[in-house]
Amino acid sequence: MIEQRFKCPNCGEIASFYGLPGETKITSCASCHLQGRITIPAQNQSDNVAIEVSHLKKVYGDLIAVNDISFTVKKGEIFAFLGPNGAGKTTTVEMIESIRTPTAGTIKLLSIDIKNGFNLIKERISILPQEFHSFERFTVRETLTYFSKLYKKRADIDEIIDAMDLRSHKKKLYRNLSGGLKQRVGVALSLVNDPEIVFLDEPTTGLDPKARREVWQVIADLRNKGKTVFLTTHYMEEAEHLADHIAIIHKGKIIAEGSLQELLSRYGEKTTLYIKNCKSDDAKYHLEEKGFDVHLSGDGDITVKIEYKEKVLEVLSELRHECIDYDGVDIRGSNLEEVFLRLTGARLTEEAET
Amino acid sequence: MNLKIVGIDFLYSIRSWLRSRGTVFWSLLFPVMLILLFGAIFSGMGEGKYTLYVQDLDDTDMSHGFVDVLNKTGIINIMNVTTNEPITDYIKKNNVKNLIVIPQGYKSAIISSSVDPSVKVNLTYYFDPAEQQTNQVLRSVISSVLQGLNMQLSQGRTVVGIQEESTITENFGFIDFFIPGMIGFTIMQQSIYGSIERNTKFRKDGILRKLLTTPITRSEWILAKMLFMLFLAFISTSVAIGVGVLAFGIKVNINLLSIVIIVATSFLFSGIGMIIGRFVKEEETADMAAGAISFPMMFLAGTFFAVDAMPEVIQTIAHALPLFYVNEGLRNAMIYMNQTKALINAGIVLIFAAMFFIAGVVLTKWKED
Repeated sequence: MIEQRFKCPNCGEIASFYGLPGETKITSCASCHLQGRITIPAQNQSDNVAIEVSHLKKVYGDLIAVNDISFTVKKGEIFAFLGPNGAGKTTTVEMIESIRTPTAGTIKLLSIDIKNGFNLIKERISILPQEFHSFERFTVRETLTYFSKLYKKRADIDEIIDAMDLRSHKKKLYRNLSGGLKQRVGVALSLVNDPEIVFLDEPTTGLDPKARREVWQVIADLRNKGKTVFLTTHYMEEAEHLADHIAIIHKGKIIAEGSLQELLSRYGEKTTLYIKNCKSDDAKYHLEEKGFDVHLSGDGDITVKIEYKEKVLEVLSELRHECIDYDGVDIRGSNLEEVFLRLTGARLTEEAET
Repeated sequence: MNLKIVGIDFLYSIRSWLRSRGTVFWSLLFPVMLILLFGAIFSGMGEGKYTLYVQDLDDTDMSHGFVDVLNKTGIINIMNVTTNEPITDYIKKNNVKNLIVIPQGYKSAIISSSVDPSVKVNLTYYFDPAEQQTNQVLRSVISSVLQGLNMQLSQGRTVVGIQEESTITENFGFIDFFIPGMIGFTIMQQSIYGSIERNTKFRKDGILRKLLTTPITRSEWILAKMLFMLFLAFISTSVAIGVGVLAFGIKVNINLLSIVIIVATSFLFSGIGMIIGRFVKEEETADMAAGAISFPMMFLAGTFFAVDAMPEVIQTIAHALPLFYVNEGLRNAMIYMNQTKALINAGIVLIFAAMFFIAGVVLTKWKED
């Protein structure tokens, strides 16, 4: 609810009322009782939008790399652009970063159309290109200082070094850093101008799980600093772990978009409860009688599809009630892999490898 | 144009360059090693071409006899020069490397020497100091013939002597010829490979993509890099000249034309590097492409050996190579002090530089297709 103040045109009395943006109300002045229609101004949607992509298309000869995609990214969120290799992620992000020219469509960054206004926006954004390697013979600090000096607006380099946990490496030459540290420096570089939007193109590709988690932490910290992060990735765990909003791209088209919960509830499978080595043949019968979707495998395991994780207790209570013994249970929730499988008929990991 | 950004990039480029021992080696020490090595080997030696021009001003049976003896050695190809030709003009006009002048009164001096032992006659031998081996061979042949002649005339007393004059007014050695060539070669290598690194490695590493989204413009970046290449060009020129002066005692004249040629050379080969970098995407392939262009050019364009000593086909090719005009221009401007020729060479180098640099800048793109 927004408070809207108004001045009575008859007596000049100041009054206020509460309503939603765009809402119109008939109200009367408390002093002279003049009636009038007051509209609460609609909030400017673009104020809250960091990236606005509309009908974007990129064609190479007969190949449509990006096929008429539209989406918006809100300020302050981590937006994951998820898809297998070759889906059109990097082509899309590079068009947004003005590295490639779109065949059709419009792109606005912070309400500025980049077609003619990209130079105006350079100070306010920052990118980490895919497979980025900086100047090999600069130290970490020099790398950050060099890029920092290209901007008018500069963040404190030492603060960035501390925030990225690079203090003990700041005097090391870039080429002597591990893959994880190089990516961390890459992310650090994207902060030197204190940008409003940070584009990270596959920032964890090729990193080992430990290094990947380190970079995840750094990206999560960007959100905590209020930055808008546009993250392209083919790792579903990365999107699940980091993103506020996910767009899944496949063969140049966005096939699903929403928060993780929205995508899972819309396209995901039910949660599966695995009951290992069930000692009774009647378990399936009893659980089905209670309305559960039960499948029996040849080796004595039972799988039960459940709507919510809370139903697990119900299933286990039923087994206890019927004195049915088992070796253990395993609960597997739905994930983006299943969403992708359901939407495309292929596994994300398999697509990524092909 | 933000000159502050240009300055920052320039200073960081120097810092990065100084940290690469390999690059510093190839930029500075390698040329020094080549200068010392080739200087030591070829100062006093040469390559071998035995055409000798003869102007017989005496035109007598005795002077004809001397020429016949030279001819009969079988290793000298005699080319006769008419007696009415002013010799220095003829040398310049025909680019003559070795010429001997038999003075008028040659026969009468020999005859008189039998009566008056103090009478002597000197032949004048004009030679190009750059043609070390040819000079050595011709000198020894001429000396042997004269020794035999003097023995015959006066039991060894010198009646016919020889007076040497450089076809170039000063007495230049191989090292004088070699150092300008080495300067041209070094600038070529630095510019081509530096340009390729910026256009292939930096593209592959995503640095150009990153820079495209920062406030630095492509023009500012290219200007900064050209300033850096000029810095390297002047450093390597100074080192080469320093070694030449200290180790071999050469005399070098630094003048406006030599500076113009050095600057133009840097732009010229940076442009060639940009063009290679535009069409060859892989770093290794680009290096090979650069080598394929620069190495033949190094040998064909008269860096180490005079082009005139090469077969005619090679000479024709050499005249189409920009490095040839760089080498010739630097030699004429810095060593031989032939400023007219240097000006022509500089003009040709400037035309090449404008062509290749403009093409390179136009073709260099930060944006992807």
